[in-house]
Amino acid sequence: MIEVRDLVYEYPAKRALEGVSLVVPPQTIVALVGPNGAGKTTLLRCLAALEPPYSGVVTIDGLDTREHPREIHTRLGYLPDFYGLYDELTVRRCLTYAAWSHGIVVTAVEGAIAKAAERVGLSDRMESKAGELSRGLRQRLGIGQAIVHEPKVLLLDEPAAGLDPQARRDLSVLLLSLREAGMTLVVSSHILAELEDYCSEMIIIENGRVAGGRPIKVKDVDRPRYLIEIATARSDFGKFLKDAGVDVVEADEHHALIIHTRNAAARAKLLHDLVTAGFEVSSFGESSKALEETYFSQIGKRTA
Amino acid sequence: MGPEFRRNLWLELTPRRVVFMIAILALVFFAAAVSGPSWTPYSAAETIYYLIVVIWGARNAGLSIVNEIRDRTWDLQRLSSISAAQMTLGKLFGSTIYNWFGGAICLTVMLVYGFAHGTPGSTILDLIYYVIVGLVAQAAALLASLVAIRRRSAHSRLDVFLYQFLGVVAAIAVAYVWEAADPESALLLGRKSSDVIPWWGAVVSARPFLLLSLAIFAGWILAGCYREMRRELKMQNGPLVWAAFLVFTGLYVAGFDAWLPHEAVMANWNVVALRLALASTTFAALTYVMVLLEPKDRVLYRWYASRIASGGVGLALWGLQAWIMSYGATVLVSLALIWWLFAQGYGAFYPAIAVAGLGFLTRDVSIFVFSSATRRRGDFVAIVALFALYVLIPAILDGVGLKSMLPLFYPTPSNPVWLGPAIVWGEAIVAVAFAVSRVALGGKRVASGSWQS
Repeated sequence: MIEVRDLVYEYPAKRALEGVSLVVPPQTIVALVGPNGAGKTTLLRCLAALEPPYSGVVTIDGLDTREHPREIHTRLGYLPDFYGLYDELTVRRCLTYAAWSHGIVVTAVEGAIAKAAERVGLSDRMESKAGELSRGLRQRLGIGQAIVHEPKVLLLDEPAAGLDPQARRDLSVLLLSLREAGMTLVVSSHILAELEDYCSEMIIIENGRVAGGRPIKVKDVDRPRYLIEIATARSDFGKFLKDAGVDVVEADEHHALIIHTRNAAARAKLLHDLVTAGFEVSSFGESSKALEETYFSQIGKRTA
Repeated sequence: MGPEFRRNLWLELTPRRVVFMIAILALVFFAAAVSGPSWTPYSAAETIYYLIVVIWGARNAGLSIVNEIRDRTWDLQRLSSISAAQMTLGKLFGSTIYNWFGGAICLTVMLVYGFAHGTPGSTILDLIYYVIVGLVAQAAALLASLVAIRRRSAHSRLDVFLYQFLGVVAAIAVAYVWEAADPESALLLGRKSSDVIPWWGAVVSARPFLLLSLAIFAGWILAGCYREMRRELKMQNGPLVWAAFLVFTGLYVAGFDAWLPHEAVMANWNVVALRLALASTTFAALTYVMVLLEPKDRVLYRWYASRIASGGVGLALWGLQAWIMSYGATVLVSLALIWWLFAQGYGAFYPAIAVAGLGFLTRDVSIFVFSSATRRRGDFVAIVALFALYVLIPAILDGVGLKSMLPLFYPTPSNPVWLGPAIVWGEAIVAVAFAVSRVALGGKRVASGSWQS
């Protein structure tokens, strides 16, 4: 659905993106993460066909952003990190304007705004002015405006910023429902913990490049991440695991973060092999902070 | 009616505001009607029209996009399916619909008053003029804001005042031109009014000619707004409209050869030379205006170079900036003028001045590109540099008795005649080299964590 090849983007005095390549399959939710100023927003704006690449190619649903920006806009919804609403208009009028401005035919406008309002849970607030809504409800209205025309691709820049825990949970549910409805979502976020709730892949952007050179699977039911700790330091800890055919994300003398099958027998065998090899295993369990650990393990790695 | 216009109707024409406008204007016209002969409803309507439609309307038009940027809704509009024409008209007439509502009441009063006093023909022409002056003021303010947002995203109150000011200046220019055909106003200003205007050798009736000219230039301003809006909506413009504007402006201005002071510097020039000189000067002026207004985008110039290097000359030409096209037109017409002057046996004096003028233009645009390619306030630096080159240094040289060096700083005769142009082109080549190196080499690095993404 989204394909980026060797994307380079330059501001007059600096290069913001350098050789970014990625593929986002249809009906997935991919997270863009990275430090402040890494280039996430610039990348999202390039995906939204708002900024033309200096070089490289960005295609959305098979259309080149440089050649067909307007066609792409009809298939795309985008909510920037700092977005605005027409505070003096009611929710109904905000959604109506969004529907009109996306070219929805007059006879279909009422249905479109009712559906969008229902999806984002604003059906009972249609006559409230946008300026009177809470932060969480404003976020929902922003997303409602972005999806009123049923886009194929939805780009959200820091949608969870400033939301309370309940609103974040609601947001996760909403994003999953949009994916189920057939949309492809790219979400930029700083909050790693919640990405596991709805993302299938994570792309780390650092210094304008994809750290590690490829996306990282956020959650794999069959092959989760495990954290192994040993009581006595061993410099060959990582090497032993790799030699045993284990997918090692990161390892030092005391810890190893691995991706391994959930199969009980396979885990028991690995544990047995470790103990047999003299490693004093003090902990072996599914990592609760796997995403965060993966993130920090990738920061600093660059595309070859 | 486009979505943007309808949204503005929701926001601008609320019942309370409509009633307020009607009540205030009714009070004003009633006061004018009862206050005596010096202040009539017509003169009150005229004054209020200027206040509401020209001054306030220009402000609202200048704010129409700036407010979207401030309120962070502009990106959402840019991503919509609203066409450039709908967005332009929606912004221009939607943001000023309340002003036009008040203005329509004023025009109605003027119309009724004019018909009641037995001057229907003149009143109708006046009404057309008033609509044009309002349209020009608002469209010029919108155009100024559209040009400005290409250069930067932050807009202060001063910036908005500047857009409004430019709109009002455009309106004053329209009013000034209109007065040339208005015997009463011209008399009051101590100028000679004229019923006829010589243009392209023909003598045309002033009032219809000026009205048509104003309408056409209002159309060009609207076309400018439309093109800038297309650019904002990520649509490619192509060079044809600007090329058409250059051709139109060159031909329009060249027709005023009869207005030039034949007895002074251009003694004995024939009509072709005069018209070529007028056209080339117009193009040079447009080059300066556009090189100041357009962003000197280093990335864009590199993109031109990379397209040309990869054989995509057509693609690069299709994306040419207006100042580059204006510069090209200046060079072409100036070369034609130089050739014509030689062919007609005018000697080397005038051609040398024209060659020097081209050299100065080349140097100056290079200074703009060099200064602005990597700096935010590069245009200001370029203007200061040009002020020093054209005013300060010549004044100092003149003061210390070095007048012979003046050809270095502006087109003046030199001895030998080609020495001045040769030196100027030396300056121009150095300036071009600096500009090209700044565009090609400077600042191309991958930044670290401190970037603004």
